[in-house]
Amino acid sequence: MTIHLSILLWLPAAAGLLGMLAPRALGRWIAVAGAALTFAYTVVLIADFDTGARGLQYVTDETWIAELGIHYKLGVDGLNLMLVGLTGLLFLASFVWLALTDWERPGQMVFFFGLAESSVLGALLAQDLALFVLFFDLMLVPFFFLTGIWGPPATRIAAITKLFIYTLVGSLLMLTAAIALGVLSAQQGGGDLTFVLSDLARVRLSEGTQQWIFLCFAAAFLVKMPAFPLHGWMPDGYRNMPLPVLAVFSGVLSKVAAYGFLRVVTPLLPDASVHFQELMMLLALASILYGSAMAFTTTDVRLVLGYSSVAQLGFIVLGIFSLQGDGAQGAIFQAVNHGLVVAPAFVVVAALALRAGGSEDVRDMGGLAFRAPVLAAMFLIVTLATLAMPGSANFVGEFLILFGAFNSKIAIAIVAFTGVALASVYALRLFIRSMHNRVGADAVSRELTLREGVVLVPLVAVVLFFAVYPQLALDRSERAATQSVRVAGALAHPEETRIAQEQPTP
Amino acid sequence: MSATTAAWLVLACPLAGTILLGLFGRALPGRIPGLVGTAAIAGSFVFAILAFADLQSRGEEQRQLVSSLYDYAVTGSIDVQMSILVDPLSILMMLVVSGVSMLIHLYSVAYMGGDRGYVRFFAYLNFFVFSMLLLVAAGNFFLLIVGWAFVGAASYLLISFWYRRTTATAAGIKAFVINVVGDVGLTLGAFFILKESGTLDFLGTFKQAEEISGANLTAGLILLLVGAFAKSAQIPLHTWLPDAMEGPTPVSALIHAATMVTAGVYLIARMHPLFEQSAAAADVGTIIGAVTLFVAATIGLVATDLKRVIAYSTMSQIGYMVMGVSAGAYVAGLFHLMTHAFFKALLFMAAGSLISAMGGEQSLDRMRGFRKAMPFTFLCFCVGGLALAGVPPFSGFFSKDEILLVVGDEGGWHWILYVVGYVTALMTAIYTWRMIFRAFFGDPVPEAVELEHGHIHHVDVPVNPATGEEEDTDVGFPGPEHHIAERALPMKIAMGTLAVLATVGGVVLIPKTTTWLDTFLEPTFADAPHHDPSDGMIWFGLALGAALGVLGIFIAYTIWGKANGEIAVRLRERMPAVHRFLINKWYFDELIELLVVRPAGWFGRFGQQTFERVFVNGTLVGGTSGIVRAGSAAVRALQSGFLRAYAALLLVGLGAVVLYFLLQA
Repeated sequence: MTIHLSILLWLPAAAGLLGMLAPRALGRWIAVAGAALTFAYTVVLIADFDTGARGLQYVTDETWIAELGIHYKLGVDGLNLMLVGLTGLLFLASFVWLALTDWERPGQMVFFFGLAESSVLGALLAQDLALFVLFFDLMLVPFFFLTGIWGPPATRIAAITKLFIYTLVGSLLMLTAAIALGVLSAQQGGGDLTFVLSDLARVRLSEGTQQWIFLCFAAAFLVKMPAFPLHGWMPDGYRNMPLPVLAVFSGVLSKVAAYGFLRVVTPLLPDASVHFQELMMLLALASILYGSAMAFTTTDVRLVLGYSSVAQLGFIVLGIFSLQGDGAQGAIFQAVNHGLVVAPAFVVVAALALRAGGSEDVRDMGGLAFRAPVLAAMFLIVTLATLAMPGSANFVGEFLILFGAFNSKIAIAIVAFTGVALASVYALRLFIRSMHNRVGADAVSRELTLREGVVLVPLVAVVLFFAVYPQLALDRSERAATQSVRVAGALAHPEETRIAQEQPTP
Repeated sequence: MSATTAAWLVLACPLAGTILLGLFGRALPGRIPGLVGTAAIAGSFVFAILAFADLQSRGEEQRQLVSSLYDYAVTGSIDVQMSILVDPLSILMMLVVSGVSMLIHLYSVAYMGGDRGYVRFFAYLNFFVFSMLLLVAAGNFFLLIVGWAFVGAASYLLISFWYRRTTATAAGIKAFVINVVGDVGLTLGAFFILKESGTLDFLGTFKQAEEISGANLTAGLILLLVGAFAKSAQIPLHTWLPDAMEGPTPVSALIHAATMVTAGVYLIARMHPLFEQSAAAADVGTIIGAVTLFVAATIGLVATDLKRVIAYSTMSQIGYMVMGVSAGAYVAGLFHLMTHAFFKALLFMAAGSLISAMGGEQSLDRMRGFRKAMPFTFLCFCVGGLALAGVPPFSGFFSKDEILLVVGDEGGWHWILYVVGYVTALMTAIYTWRMIFRAFFGDPVPEAVELEHGHIHHVDVPVNPATGEEEDTDVGFPGPEHHIAERALPMKIAMGTLAVLATVGGVVLIPKTTTWLDTFLEPTFADAPHHDPSDGMIWFGLALGAALGVLGIFIAYTIWGKANGEIAVRLRERMPAVHRFLINKWYFDELIELLVVRPAGWFGRFGQQTFERVFVNGTLVGGTSGIVRAGSAAVRALQSGFLRAYAALLLVGLGAVVLYFLLQA
């Protein structure tokens, strides 16, 4: 089957534009239809994907700027396939959520939102480094507007200023690194200037060069995730985004950064990846522990999720820089899983705030379960998946990540297990203090409404599906994830790779 | 029907029950949801019997069957199947779990009848049974961990069943977190073993048991033991169990006495080919079991909450089992697991009936003289008490002696454990009968008198006995009605059946007489070393056990049975330090608070108040945003001008860098 990725890529933006131009009542539904089509497209992609094939599938490759060797090259493989699906799903859910809520200037909102989806898909699908950098930076622009226009008036400007500064520094560093990577590779390889990733992979830069390029990319990605200690923008950013926007921001954008490590850094900069392996794993560990500790001391519900994301992204980085096939595969899967649970968690946050007199502080909640058994059940499933209870897909991801880490740096893996226990503390604490105990002073327990249910229940159903059958995702990511860390892994553990090569896996 | 098909159906029944009750339970009238839940478990029990029958019809070598449904998570180096292992051990566990669960479901049909969360209760209870069956049927480490965590979650849900009681939710989170510590131990332990064996499959791992011995195996097994200790409430991970008594009494009977807490014992027995290879790990289990059985019994001597006394007793009895299976007494440990499930579930059910008669009050200090008012409950309590105290011919007598016999037969330093085991047996008889003499003898309290006149005590404004807080009787609080065994047929049937089992359950393994259990479990433990103690030792153990049981009851009678317990008061006054130490439960809670909970809180608050504010916001952001703030007026005037600045900077940067490299090239 021929699937054109360009259609997938530009469909949301086109639908958003159409939605803005269409009459007010109709506009939002056009955008929803566009998102639904996009999601359907990603489902077809996942179903049609050839698990056994090597390399990229559905490739589109056009020369864009010949002088600079920049191509418009899109492609899908095991690294981005499930993330593309996640993007389609979460944006659809948020589009429905936006459409069911009343906003000022809804036309502009769906436009920015569609643009956001297209740029995220662009960053995921791009197989040219320059294109990747372009989409990666473009991705933030709609979110600046979405926060700046629809955030709480008193604090939104300060919040985006902070976000802007952080990401600006990261983006400039990444830009420099990307250009250097292209130019230096061309110099060393002796060919024409090119930014196509598969061409760049043929050249192996000297170790010193790799190292500074690595640091630039790492800074950009770690800021976007965010990871400790570069998370300074996160609390304000999270507090000021409208919740449907935050659901995709937290669910998808941070994953693009994690994906960037596997797409760009580990395959193109293997020597530097090994050189900085311990540093990255320690940063990951710090994110896990610090994020968890913050999550169980804050009372702001959004920040509980925000800091828990810091911890979860820590696990993902840990998996990537284990430089083991299992770890990388776990990281990809966990990126999908975290997106799948954090989005419904934000739907729940909205539901909780509505019932606690508008407050998003757990101290104002309590006892919300007793007239709302369905809401309580949904929230419970999300909570248990968040804390990666065995039996959830999140546990499968964590299991692979930790086993990868265990095989490469055992001490770090053992300490990281503390994060597993801490996750149960903050996740369950949030559930108990909002849903259980005595009813808060201004809180009213009300059952899930149809509007909330339409967004929440399908997301929870997907979470349950992957809990029962994680193999669907694992099958599709194995080849590419292993490939991404193969060279670096072989450098880090020369003796084990030799054994693995002697006994090829079936 | 083949044994594996039957085993899958054993799992399917309670899962179907959970889903059915969860989705449609509230549409069913009256007590129907409870009966549906009970029927689901009865289905499991029937299929377990079918699986048992099929397994017995096979030759001894063909009694270890593996069945896989689909690939659950398969990657380059990890191969997780949705697979179960059906062998005599898992069938025995399935029979005990589904059988006892069925009776407790039946009991709950009446006992929970007045609660507003009736449907939710049965949905949770079905989910628990599913999880427990998954745990015992799992054919690989991964599914074992899943079942392990599911029972923990079910246990949490049921401890916090009355979720608007703050004491119940606090107990719930404590149990959950300690159990997650256990899950972590289990997972990490599985990693160590996986690293050596290259497979997560049980049989595949056991096959190479001898090759993988070494430091990694010992480390892995000790970590598995951490999992076992957390689940089975062994020191120092036991503090959640007494608090778990916040849950409804049938929950205490099912989860916190008969089934879930014995999972650690099952785990050690399941892993026996590995423990055979690591004496160090086995010794850790043996010693912790011995310490726990002793410490818990001493606390049981002074605790005043009826359910907590039984909870400490559970801890202590599981200590016997853990000590037994760690020391190689696999069959004996599992034998005690089974008889304990009978008599401890019975004791909890009887306690529930008594608590109902008190209108929800659990303190032994307030109970007295219920013998005439509740003859059936009294009879059941006595049967359970005799079995627990180890008086012949009740079931507990044979199973406990069997454990101590094998431990004593080990020789070497194990004789210390032998002595500790018998000393504790005496204490067991004392604390058990202390409950009975205090609750059923003496001058009846008003509640008992009321009951003798035909009225169950009822309080209009219930209070939480733990805090004195006023409660209502809406969802999330205990229901307004109370049910006692004397008036509710389902409770009577359940308790009667268990009373019979607690009396005669020992018949499956009587020294020098019957060897049914031994023969049945033989295929699982074929490669384990056999013990053959001398006749003299067998008879000495039996005689000593019987004598200590009777002596303990006599001591309890002297202290609490005579003169309304004046001697007890005098004893307490004579030894205030000992009493204070025991009533504070050896200060374990305080120790954990000091070592774990407070440092974690400090770390969190330090991050929240100092690090976030000063370093992240002050230094990292403050510096850069200060520059921006200088020009912020202009930026704000341009509305989203900084976006333009952003784009411009991007372009400038791009241009500069391109220019640089192009010039270089």
